[in-house]
Amino acid sequence: MNIILALLIPIIFVLSFIYAAIKKVKIYDSFTEGVKGAIPLIVSIFPYLAAVTMLFKLLEVSGLEARLTAWIAPVFTFTGVPQEISSLVLIKPLSGSGSIAVLTQILERYGVDSYAARCACVAYGASDTIFYIGAVYFANLKRKRLTAALIISVVSYLTAVIFCCFLCRIM
Amino acid sequence: MNILFTILFLSAAVFLLITAPEALLPALLDGAGKGATVCVSLIATYSVWMGLMRVWEDSGVATKVSKLVKPLAKGLFKTDDEEALRAISMNLSVNLLGISGVATPYGIKAANLLDRTENAEYSSAMLFVLNATSLQLIPTSIIAVRVAMNSANPTDIVIPTLLATVFSTLLGVILTKLFIHPKTEKNIGKSTGILRIKQKTKGAGI
Repeated sequence: MNIILALLIPIIFVLSFIYAAIKKVKIYDSFTEGVKGAIPLIVSIFPYLAAVTMLFKLLEVSGLEARLTAWIAPVFTFTGVPQEISSLVLIKPLSGSGSIAVLTQILERYGVDSYAARCACVAYGASDTIFYIGAVYFANLKRKRLTAALIISVVSYLTAVIFCCFLCRIM
Repeated sequence: MNILFTILFLSAAVFLLITAPEALLPALLDGAGKGATVCVSLIATYSVWMGLMRVWEDSGVATKVSKLVKPLAKGLFKTDDEEALRAISMNLSVNLLGISGVATPYGIKAANLLDRTENAEYSSAMLFVLNATSLQLIPTSIIAVRVAMNSANPTDIVIPTLLATVFSTLLGVILTKLFIHPKTEKNIGKSTGILRIKQKTKGAGI
């Protein structure tokens, strides 16, 4: 399994370049033309990304995040989601690097193959960092109808977390 | 987003004002610095993948892949914009492969292209929901963490994770279809009647 994963990306590159060479594409020109697009893309994303990361830092430092987690914990118990993973469930939609740190913490504290750890792994994979994607994808759109899509994504994510903890119990 | 940002920012700031006012500015600077760091690492990632993307486009791979995924994308997104459909198809395909670095530039391109179509409200919401709920065949990063921590069976979470992510994506698609209505009647009806019927049958099939 891991060997296949390790080979996937190199194979994609090699095959793409061989195919392009057969098709007589000027690969150097084409590749650099593509790279050129990276800078304007980043410039358009940066202000929104910076605003969101500032907000998250503020929430973390002010202790508001910890308080919210404490308030919501009973709800988790009610839905069958182990309380041990509540911090992961809350941070996952907000921060990719933050959630991988919390995931590692949970695995260390409760053991990699424990029920809580398995739930944590599945919950981690059930969805992406919703708010980060929101900030990046909708950064330079004129019609910012993000709210409804954001609510839908969060609801789907939370339902999936409840569902996956149920799955971990029976599988 | 304006309301959400204001509320969260204000409540955190007021909280800090009471408990530790001197921590506010360092927190903001730290956050902005993190945003800048993320952007720098994104420049590296995007340079690699957008270069490859351009090679795909020039050699015709992008067109071929999008031909495969296009029927699905058309039914889901209710748009006829060829360029947008191609970006969407590539975004969905690389998402499935789990190469998230390349999914994002395609996603942003698709979002920008969809923004100028008539049905933008619905189609960009669908694009966002599909990406936010992530549909990944193999959860590579989790397996890596589990291997690193000496799990007895690092891959035993693959199937539950797949089920959970399929579940969240399906639920997201259904909710989007229920609550954000594509303006099929008004806008597309204006152009041609046949187009509308075609779109309706496609939508029913999915």
